[in-house]
Amino acid sequence: MTPNAVNWSLAIPEIGLALSGLLILVIGVLQKRGEGFFSCATLTIAAFIGCGFLVALSPDGVAYAGTFVNDSFARFMKELALVGGLLATVVTVGYQGEARGTHAPLPFETPILMLFSTLGAMIMASSGNLMTLFVGLELSSLSIYILCALERDNVRSSEAGLKYFVLGSLASGLLLYGMSLIYGYAGTMDYAGLLTAIGSEESPPLGLMVGIVFVVVGLCFKLSAVPFHMWTPDVYQGAPTPVTAYMASAPKFAAFALFLRVMTGPFGTMAPRWQILVEVVSLLSMVYGALAAIPQTDIKRLMAYSSIGHMGYAMMGLASASAAGVRATLIYLAAYLVMNAGVFAVIATMQRKGHEVTTIADLAGLGRREPGLAAALAIFMFSMIGVPPLAGFFGKFMVFAAAWQSHLYALVAIGALSSIVGAYYYLRIVKVLYFEESAEAFDPPATTLLFVTGGMSAATVLFILALGPLMTVAQHAAQALVG
Amino acid sequence: MQTDLHLFAAAIFLPLAGAGIAGLGGRLIGDSLAKLVTLVCMAVATVCGILALCHGWSSGFAPHALLVSDWINAGGFEARWMLRFDTLSVTMTAMVLSVSLLVHCYSLGYMSHETMPVYRFFAYLSLFTFAMLMLVSSNDLVQLFFGWEGVGLASYLLIGYWYDRPAATAAAIKAFVVNRVADLFFLVGIGLIYVLFHTVQYDAIFASIPHVLGSDYTVLGTSVSLVELISLLLFIGAMGKSAQLFLHTWLPDAMEGPTPVSALIHAATMVTAGVFLMARVSPLLEFAPVTRNFIIFIGATTCFFAATVGMVQPDIKRTIAYSTCSQLGYMFAAVGVGAYQASVFHLTTHAFFKALLFLGAGSVIHAMHDEQNMFRMGGLWKKLPLTYGAMWVGSLALAGVFPFAGYWSKDAILNALWATQTGMSHYAWVLGTVTAFITAFYSWRLLLLVFHGSPANVAARDAAHESPLSMSLPLVVLSLGAVIAGIILAPFYIGEGQVLFWHGAIFNAPDNRIMENFEHVPSIIGLMPSLAGLAGIAVAYVFYSMAPRLPAQMASAFRPLYVFLLNKWYFDELYGFIFVRPYKAIARALWKNGEEGAVEGLPRDLVRLTSQSAAQAVRMQTGSIAIYAFTMLAGLVVLLTVALCG
Amino acid sequence: MTSAIAPIGLMPYLVVSAAMLVLGVFGIFLNRKNVIIILMSMELILLAANLNFVAFSSAHGDLSGQVMVLFVLTIAAAEAAIGLAIVTVYFRNRGSIQVEDATMMKG
Repeated sequence: MTPNAVNWSLAIPEIGLALSGLLILVIGVLQKRGEGFFSCATLTIAAFIGCGFLVALSPDGVAYAGTFVNDSFARFMKELALVGGLLATVVTVGYQGEARGTHAPLPFETPILMLFSTLGAMIMASSGNLMTLFVGLELSSLSIYILCALERDNVRSSEAGLKYFVLGSLASGLLLYGMSLIYGYAGTMDYAGLLTAIGSEESPPLGLMVGIVFVVVGLCFKLSAVPFHMWTPDVYQGAPTPVTAYMASAPKFAAFALFLRVMTGPFGTMAPRWQILVEVVSLLSMVYGALAAIPQTDIKRLMAYSSIGHMGYAMMGLASASAAGVRATLIYLAAYLVMNAGVFAVIATMQRKGHEVTTIADLAGLGRREPGLAAALAIFMFSMIGVPPLAGFFGKFMVFAAAWQSHLYALVAIGALSSIVGAYYYLRIVKVLYFEESAEAFDPPATTLLFVTGGMSAATVLFILALGPLMTVAQHAAQALVG
Repeated sequence: MQTDLHLFAAAIFLPLAGAGIAGLGGRLIGDSLAKLVTLVCMAVATVCGILALCHGWSSGFAPHALLVSDWINAGGFEARWMLRFDTLSVTMTAMVLSVSLLVHCYSLGYMSHETMPVYRFFAYLSLFTFAMLMLVSSNDLVQLFFGWEGVGLASYLLIGYWYDRPAATAAAIKAFVVNRVADLFFLVGIGLIYVLFHTVQYDAIFASIPHVLGSDYTVLGTSVSLVELISLLLFIGAMGKSAQLFLHTWLPDAMEGPTPVSALIHAATMVTAGVFLMARVSPLLEFAPVTRNFIIFIGATTCFFAATVGMVQPDIKRTIAYSTCSQLGYMFAAVGVGAYQASVFHLTTHAFFKALLFLGAGSVIHAMHDEQNMFRMGGLWKKLPLTYGAMWVGSLALAGVFPFAGYWSKDAILNALWATQTGMSHYAWVLGTVTAFITAFYSWRLLLLVFHGSPANVAARDAAHESPLSMSLPLVVLSLGAVIAGIILAPFYIGEGQVLFWHGAIFNAPDNRIMENFEHVPSIIGLMPSLAGLAGIAVAYVFYSMAPRLPAQMASAFRPLYVFLLNKWYFDELYGFIFVRPYKAIARALWKNGEEGAVEGLPRDLVRLTSQSAAQAVRMQTGSIAIYAFTMLAGLVVLLTVALCG
Repeated sequence: MTSAIAPIGLMPYLVVSAAMLVLGVFGIFLNRKNVIIILMSMELILLAANLNFVAFSSAHGDLSGQVMVLFVLTIAAAEAAIGLAIVTVYFRNRGSIQVEDATMMKG
């Protein structure tokens, strides 16, 4: 294959998704004002499903002169991102159905923006070049900046959008600067080229290390890893719930995909140098995520800290710098997707007279009011603690095992400790659900939300059945990357 | 052969059945039925016991045993539930059962005024009897220890029977704990026996003794004869059970229990278990001369000590309790010189007259509506004639006046002490004779204070009446025993028929001729105990009948000595200082610092640490974009430093 | 790439871009005035990176750096537009564009 070959057929899923996005946008514009949402949403869901099939069927290969790569790892991450986007869109539909309150319902652009953001995530997962990385990243991020501020008359939503935008742009800027330094000292932006350029060096030059650190910082921001996490609680709390649901899934997977691909690809030979960075970040994230969630009273904020902690655990797999570690991270992310989507679906049902209510105290006594929802939420909470045989246990177990095998004993110990500390706030929610006086009742939940909740709780409980095939796929993906 | 074993087994297990039915089912079947069941079981058991005794006597008491069941068989260590049928066990069984039956009968009347149901009391009494019988009928040391602990348990339950009285519960715990201390030594002794003999069965041990006489044991750098060490340890165990000096502090406090309990346990049976043990292991003791010297010393000193304390006590039951302690000293002194037969003889006669004295005292207490201070009694002899007569008989027997029971046994012991002709035994003889004087003195002091003189409380005296039949009948039976037991049993226990009678149940070493020698002491020595006793009676009359103000004047004239005796030679205070206070301090320290400080403090501090850290962590999140950006920068710098310098 | 003016080497470019980066970064968290300053600082950072790309591209003789710059400029424009839109929406709701006022959510 000639280096400049376009080979655009490899990118058919992305191209298809982009075109359908534009098409749906046109359709939405052509609808009467206020009526376009449901058609756009359904079309978006259809586009996601179609794209999912296309991704599964896409072959391995390199396209666009090496800037676009498709292998089993990319396929895995793309499927995760697509499922995340799909679930978030369904949650949006469910959330929208109840929004009869004083504030304006979500506009029809919401699912379309989610589509574009997912598209950006997919491009990130397939990046073979720093350019593609940046473009995909920006596509994804810009869409989310808009999504956060979409509830136009909610001041919190606007503030969330503002904060995310400012800090996200800062992170993107730092990332870009880092990329420029790497380009400067390696002479190329292509991963393969970088690998050959760096691999030959004994000790990397100063500028290269600085560049790598800047890139890591930028990526850690997207992952909401400590100490670049401070946007997470405010943005999660302020954004509309379906947007938070989306933010907690697809962009994180994309960022992880980038992280894994970049760290194990071009910088794979420098593993001992960046491994320590990842260890530090992972450790801080786990501990901070566990501690800071304890005094929280808003459930979306609590989930924000929870996701900080979870990303810390997932990064333990990366810190192991081995195929087993990558595989562990992938399984962790799969489990996390399922749990997270379920929790946010339940949170989306927390509305009274169309107003969103998100304090933990409002959940009190849900066990009596809505036993099914409460049971599902309890399942998700236990899964997040890591109780076997729910989904979260397998993720945690695999990352711990991978880290142990890489002799990161201190990390594992601190991870276990913070897991114990973190169990407190998950259990507190279960306690509030079942052992407290009933708060005022919520509006009846939308069917779509019940569907998502039920589906996700089933997936959490039955994760063990899917574990086998999942491990095989993850193993392939890991080997494609590292092995 | 089989019949007597069956009778023996029935005698031993019927009390257990009675205890089980009354104890476990008493709530269901009711008090009266429970009392009837226990009484019937005891009666039948006593009859069986006496029949077994008769059978054994006619067959010459050849030692044999009945296997009830296997128990422990672990790595060479064997223990079985067996009933040993020889002179010692059968006579003890008959004695225990008789006294216990009389006490059961007495309790029907004594405990009739209780507000709570009394089936528990009778169940405990029968349980105690069973444990004591297991002890005396054991064929190995493990079953003996089972009985040993069983009687200790029953004693605890019965002393603290009135569990709502703090004094009673404290006394029960004290009895149990002091016995526990002694039992530790006992257990070590059993362990050493196993180490030396590789068995704990009596026959096997006694047969192997000649082979192990030279064995030594190194402890703390010095080498001691193992036989001596074992004997010493067993004796210390006996000291606890029989309330000898240093381990005696529990006996006076045990008087907090109901009087029938004092009569049964702390006069006739449990406290004699120590003497029984010594007699049982006589083959071993015979080859431990150093220990036996020590036994003589302890026995004689206890004898004297208890008598001196008993003569100034104001409480009627405590006086008799110290009297028991004193008489037990006699028995151990006899053991020490090798006159085990005389010791067991005194044990048997003492059972009768001491139980009689206790039951009589109970009768007085019952009549005076639970008054126990002798100085608040007086002038009761007209009101309680039967009790008065019984107390006279008991006191005469205790003082050793011919021909009452105590004369034969006490004189035998004192003569044996003289005839041994060693310094230690002469020391014991002197103390023993002085004690005989003091014993008579305080016995008549009791009689005179309680039954004669002007009453301290006229109204109470007038209201007193004689006890019901259930209480009077045992008094009569025991009086009979106190009179004739000595004469009748002397030939068999210590007289010409003793070898045939004992049939090897008690062992005398070939060079131990004490059981013959004691007959041949100078006549003046033989008369000394009787003279001392009569002198004591006379002095008591002087003090309490003719010159009633004399005791008070003597007490104030010798005030320090009086207070010293009144406070039991300050043993309780001494032990409190040496043992109880440091122990309490350690326990408190472990509780406050160990338990509350560390064990509970650790999770508490961890929780506090976590929640404080959480509060601190959240404070960082100020909401200001500038701060967030700054933190990102700071993180960047840190990571740069780590990457470039790490 | 020759020029009449004497070539000055790579280092000055790097220094200038580093200075711009620092200015931009400090502009984000040091300003107390308003959010528009933040948007301006963001642009500065992106431009600093762009300068780096151009400089390195010239130094290596590789065109991909300059191609990257074109991409980045486009994205920067889009970002600025989005940023201003968000600031507008925010101002409509909050009534102020002071940075310190954007602290409704904390803890």
